[in-house]
Amino acid sequence: MANSLTQTQVNQSKTLMLFILAMSLSGLENLVAEIIPEFQIGPIELGISSFIFIPLVLVILFDNIWVALAAPIGEIVFADLILGEFGGLGEFEEVILLTMGLYLAGRLVKDVASRKQLIIAALVGFGFTELAGTMIDIGKVWIGIEQLEAVPGLPESIVALEGIDFLVEFVITGIIFGVLPTLYFVPRLYGKLEPMLGIKPREIDDSRNPLPIAVTIGAVIAVILGTTVAFISEMGINIIEWEADFLDKFGDNFIWVPIGIAALVAVITFILAKNGKTKEAKASQEG
Amino acid sequence: MENIMKRLNKISVENIKLEIMRTTFGNRDTFLSQLDPRVLMFWYLIFAIFPWFIYDKIVLVALLAFVTFIAAISKVSKVIIFLLCFGIASEIICYGIVAYFLGGGLEAFLALIGLTMKLATISLASIAIFGNIDPERLSDALLSWGVPGQITFAVSFGYRMVPVLIEEYNNIINSFRLRGKSPEHKGFLYWRQLLHMLKIAIYAFYPLIFNTAKRTRTTVEALEVRGFSYALQNKEVKKLKLAYLKIRLKDIAFLAGSVSYVIFLMIIVK
Amino acid sequence: MPQGIIHIEGLSFTYPGSGCPVLKNVDLEVEKGDFVAVIGSNGSGKTTLCKAMNGLIPQYISGDFAGKVEVNGLNTLETTVASLARHIAYVYQDFENQLVRSTVYEDVIFAPLNFGFADYRERGLQALKILGLEHLKDRFIWELSGGQKHLAAMAGALSLGPDIIIVDEPAAQLDPLTAVRVYEKLQILNRDYGKTIIVIEHNSEFIADYCRSVIMMDGGCVFWQKPVREALNRIDELKERNIHPPQVTQAAHLLFQSGSGKNNVGNYPIQIAESEAYFAGINLKPSCCAHSITEPSPANNREPVITFQGASYGYKTLENTTHYVLSNVDFTIYEGDRLAIVGSNGAGKSTLLKLISGIIKPQSGGVTVYDSNTRDASPENLAEIVTYIFQHPEEMFIEDSIRRDIEYFLKVRKNPNLEVLVDQVVNGLQLTELQNQNGRLLSGGQQRRASLAIGVATHPSVILLDEPTGSLDISSRKEMVAMLEYLKDRVKTVIVATHDMQLAAEWANRIAVMKDGKIIEDSDKYRVFGNPALLKEANLRPPQIVELCHDLGISPVAFSLGEFSNRLVLGKEDHHGKYYETVE
Repeated sequence: MANSLTQTQVNQSKTLMLFILAMSLSGLENLVAEIIPEFQIGPIELGISSFIFIPLVLVILFDNIWVALAAPIGEIVFADLILGEFGGLGEFEEVILLTMGLYLAGRLVKDVASRKQLIIAALVGFGFTELAGTMIDIGKVWIGIEQLEAVPGLPESIVALEGIDFLVEFVITGIIFGVLPTLYFVPRLYGKLEPMLGIKPREIDDSRNPLPIAVTIGAVIAVILGTTVAFISEMGINIIEWEADFLDKFGDNFIWVPIGIAALVAVITFILAKNGKTKEAKASQEG
Repeated sequence: MENIMKRLNKISVENIKLEIMRTTFGNRDTFLSQLDPRVLMFWYLIFAIFPWFIYDKIVLVALLAFVTFIAAISKVSKVIIFLLCFGIASEIICYGIVAYFLGGGLEAFLALIGLTMKLATISLASIAIFGNIDPERLSDALLSWGVPGQITFAVSFGYRMVPVLIEEYNNIINSFRLRGKSPEHKGFLYWRQLLHMLKIAIYAFYPLIFNTAKRTRTTVEALEVRGFSYALQNKEVKKLKLAYLKIRLKDIAFLAGSVSYVIFLMIIVK
Repeated sequence: MPQGIIHIEGLSFTYPGSGCPVLKNVDLEVEKGDFVAVIGSNGSGKTTLCKAMNGLIPQYISGDFAGKVEVNGLNTLETTVASLARHIAYVYQDFENQLVRSTVYEDVIFAPLNFGFADYRERGLQALKILGLEHLKDRFIWELSGGQKHLAAMAGALSLGPDIIIVDEPAAQLDPLTAVRVYEKLQILNRDYGKTIIVIEHNSEFIADYCRSVIMMDGGCVFWQKPVREALNRIDELKERNIHPPQVTQAAHLLFQSGSGKNNVGNYPIQIAESEAYFAGINLKPSCCAHSITEPSPANNREPVITFQGASYGYKTLENTTHYVLSNVDFTIYEGDRLAIVGSNGAGKSTLLKLISGIIKPQSGGVTVYDSNTRDASPENLAEIVTYIFQHPEEMFIEDSIRRDIEYFLKVRKNPNLEVLVDQVVNGLQLTELQNQNGRLLSGGQQRRASLAIGVATHPSVILLDEPTGSLDISSRKEMVAMLEYLKDRVKTVIVATHDMQLAAEWANRIAVMKDGKIIEDSDKYRVFGNPALLKEANLRPPQIVELCHDLGISPVAFSLGEFSNRLVLGKEDHHGKYYETVE
């Protein structure tokens, strides 16, 4: 008994179900994180900004754009609006970046049993969102201050502080509340949650051509790197000159950290893409 | 540390319900809340984007003053304003101090004053507007601008579900506590205790995911029965839903007044 | 015979992945304007049948579907669920999840607006008016009580002006008095607005009071479809399927069987209202014995376990005042107490239990459990002595199988005998078959049993149960009472907060009546149920048999059918004596 009326209705309701599920859970997760106090020093926040593993786990289990979209919507509606912290245009940015990051994470996983893929997906998904957010924050200051490059020390200071903030976020939210719980939750939910929603669990998807994913990620990273480089040169930061003074005080060169991570991500993606290809080749040989 | 424990316990349903009551009913009789939500959002957009392109300090001061006035007549809580200013100031001061050490002088601070005013203007505009739009009206305004119905539906649904979900999360945490075991030694700075609580906070989502999944099935069935998808595909329904949104003289006056003030500033400066 | 408003022909349905059909070749006709109860034991296909009527089966719940279902002349295979919703409304058993908007008004206009009715506001308001909910219009859904939510869900469905309303087990999720209110509204809809009402119901007393006909489902088939009086007089057929006929009906039957009642087989009274007249005609032999009610044994002999010293608990309201859920309670609970706390919704029953468990702390006064003040003890430590069984079992399932849930407490304490102890509990509560299943996917009765097992596995001295028989059908309810007996030798003190007066009467040796955050009576079942004024004040609905005793002027009241018939006819004194013994 599968007439077309039934079929469309079933599909439509499944999408809606995933959207509502992901929205409710991401919203709650964010609300809880919001209520737990955090320490703030200038632009650097020490605290849980979100239990990011919730949307990560869901998007990995269901690989669906609506799940990715539901996460920022849930955050905005459940946490920000209700606590009276709705941020206007800033929320718009959140929707785009988080949706993209999560969707990317979902796409990156082909076999939910592979811990390696889960780690990569969680890191890339969150890393992308956070890095792009950092870039935008820097960009805002850049636009906001007239002739920023003319004020000595200021551009470096902004990049340095935003860089630290990125790092802190990456470690606390990305790893402690992202990667680790994702590794714990995905295998425990896989095959158990889906039937409750009347959905078939994801299968190992070797058929998916990894190339477009690699291209997507490559493009994204290129854009980020490009923006960074353009920004630095625009500001007239002479990286080598800057280094001397900066290293004395902080012992490291922070601008390289986000760039390094982006590069690392690119390399990992490349390896992943290659792996996928060999697997695919093997599969086709065996088949 | 004790403080954090207390805050964790404060995630109570009653507090969240109070918060929702405040955001929804708190500002029903203010001047801004009487205006059309689309006009309010358009007004917000002006004051959220325009300051970025202004570098003249006098204009910035005038803009900030105007937005502060609007915020003041719309009963924005003083605590929120204080927190906001404190947040922006500390951020800016931080940039300044680091810049100072990186070789910049006092001019770094001067350069940052402009930025501070921009950020303050934008944030105040946001608080004044979004603290005064009834969430249902906000979602209708978004709908009228072409945001998909699934997303605008989320607003009302959120107000419906948040207390329910928080209560359930709370009860699950209690289940964990009633069956779990707190560490025998609290550890340096209570770190063991903290770790124990954080673990519970994370593990509690596991049963919650299952429970929410089960709940969602009925909700979606009910949504379909009640014509949710039917409405999404039907333009007439959207028109009917939004028919109550009307731009009146008040709205036009408010918007025109604000815009002319901005233009007036620009002319004076030039 | 003209076709009814619902016409079902040869309907069979099998859920995907299950080999055996839930519905087998069902033929059914429901007349316009009828008030029908669908009854049958668990798994007989009641809910599936009703979901086939509004098109959810097979349109959203796919599976093997055969046969024809017509609603108001529309074939459910050719009409979308949304279009069918204008003809047939459905109120779920978990009705809370069908309320999807923030406020009552928003929710009630949701459906008519979605279907593009220009008069959606009037439709919504009209639905609220019919159900008498206008005063709740601007409330948030979560501000409502359970009964109000149920009516709000119904209003949301009514706003489309359907001719048929299906309500899935209204009495199961609501306390008895609220369920009466819901039924009264259904009666208005049926009588004054000509709606056809279909309820899935286990409680035969509601069926007797409100329904006009009964459909009995058995093993996926319609066993019979009869007018209500005839249906409820089929005492043996009902009992075979775990449905208990009204106590008055059974009492009349018992009297006949014992040789002193009228031979009225097939025409026994089904409502309390008709019973007085019925029994008046019988030559009653009221028991002569004026038993004095034994005083509960003096408290000072026994070990106090839990003490409330002027304990209060409340929360802040929007106006910054404190609303007290529990005010200034002084109360002592002893070892050996089987205490039932009764009272209407919001009387403070659950709060009292939570204060004992240490989840919440009193704002003033104190609560002492054995020697420790709950204010100073963490819930983790109190849990070694006290177990709290939540009202909603789902909130106790923190794992994905019930065995793991039962283990959890012992596991984190690294108990070396874990396997043995868990096996004992699992076998003792008959969970062997179910132990590896996810608790959330079990039936209501199984969930309760699992939640009890989780509690028992912690080896507590005190066990607290919040509404242990709530949302259970009669057979699961009986099972639960048996489980409480199982606790008798294992736990020193058991405290139950309940709406279930039958449970309080059958099981407890001490009953505390609560109202508005205070304990207004603390004694035994004879004093509580023998006092109609008290029952009225606390808004309690006693078991039907007790009401019958009040009506017939029998004192002290009887609590079971056997007791009742003995009292009337045979007057066996030793029987009474036996009853009183258990009270002590």
